[in-house]
Amino acid sequence: MKDNLAITGPSPGHRAASYWFVDGLPDIVLGVTLLIFGAAGLWWCVHRPKPSPAHEFFVVAIGLCFFFWKGRPLIDLLKSRLTYPRTGYARPPEDLSELGLPNALTALSLKPWPKRDENVTHFLTRTTMVVLWWCFFALNLNPWSRWYTLLAPAALAVALYAWNRRSEHPYRWWSALLLALIGPALLWLDLSPLLQPLLMPLLAGAWLATEGACVLVHYLRANPSSRAAEGVRA
Amino acid sequence: MTQRMQEISQLDRVIHEPARLAIMLILGGVGEADFLYLQREGGFTQGNLSGHLAKLEEAGYVVIEKKFKGKVPLTVCSLTGKGMTAFAKYSNRMLGLLQPNGSTGSSRP
Repeated sequence: MKDNLAITGPSPGHRAASYWFVDGLPDIVLGVTLLIFGAAGLWWCVHRPKPSPAHEFFVVAIGLCFFFWKGRPLIDLLKSRLTYPRTGYARPPEDLSELGLPNALTALSLKPWPKRDENVTHFLTRTTMVVLWWCFFALNLNPWSRWYTLLAPAALAVALYAWNRRSEHPYRWWSALLLALIGPALLWLDLSPLLQPLLMPLLAGAWLATEGACVLVHYLRANPSSRAAEGVRA
Repeated sequence: MTQRMQEISQLDRVIHEPARLAIMLILGGVGEADFLYLQREGGFTQGNLSGHLAKLEEAGYVVIEKKFKGKVPLTVCSLTGKGMTAFAKYSNRMLGLLQPNGSTGSSRP
């Protein structure tokens, strides 16, 4: 028999963690970073006498390091203009490693009460690191075959969808399906085998930025007016 | 008066009010939030939220600060140490009271 007294639904901390992604800005910033550094890597790669995908991976990895370092302040700055005046500010979630600890300091200190450890996000490990590893494998598979072109975007789509399905930031199934369909689209375009692996970081970035942009448009349409809550003091 | 009745009478009345309990619960889970977020999450009106926050601030459970995010000013509320302790005591006591055997939170080891 179902226990009707049991409290169901997300906790305030978990809701706050989901709230960080309500405007799609984390995806947009990560996607644009990948696009910029992926394009720079591609440009550098094709202008070298002996092009190698490893060069592009090097530039993409620098871009993702930049995201690790400056992504959070940049997202916060954008949110202060877009999100906080519309729907309010809640403390951004802490980045949670897959070890289950927000950071080393928390690990060394006593567990706080009330539970603050629910306002956490897996975005860095379940999205950023997945994309980084995927880029690493995609750019280092040699020789690149038609099978890789078909399977690489599908593998990324499945990984992102499955791993984030029950997290604070799930991806929609049809969005993941669109990412998976990039593979057949590339096969149909019949690009040169050298170019196909080099395009993968750009495609991942474009997908993330588009995904984020769709969420942002939906958010802005749902919350059109910037309601200034300032001046109201308890 | 039984011990359980005594426990009920000793409940923290500042937190016991549903709206203030909701505010404490949200701030406990989130860490800190601004006025607008609390208003939307709790479904409060501006006046209602202001009144309840004032009572919590008066009791020393909540601190309300003006902060800037970029150039945008925010009225940010967060629980104080005293507020966290009071909330922990309150929920322990309530959990104890709701147990069928009547063992209260304060009598737990």
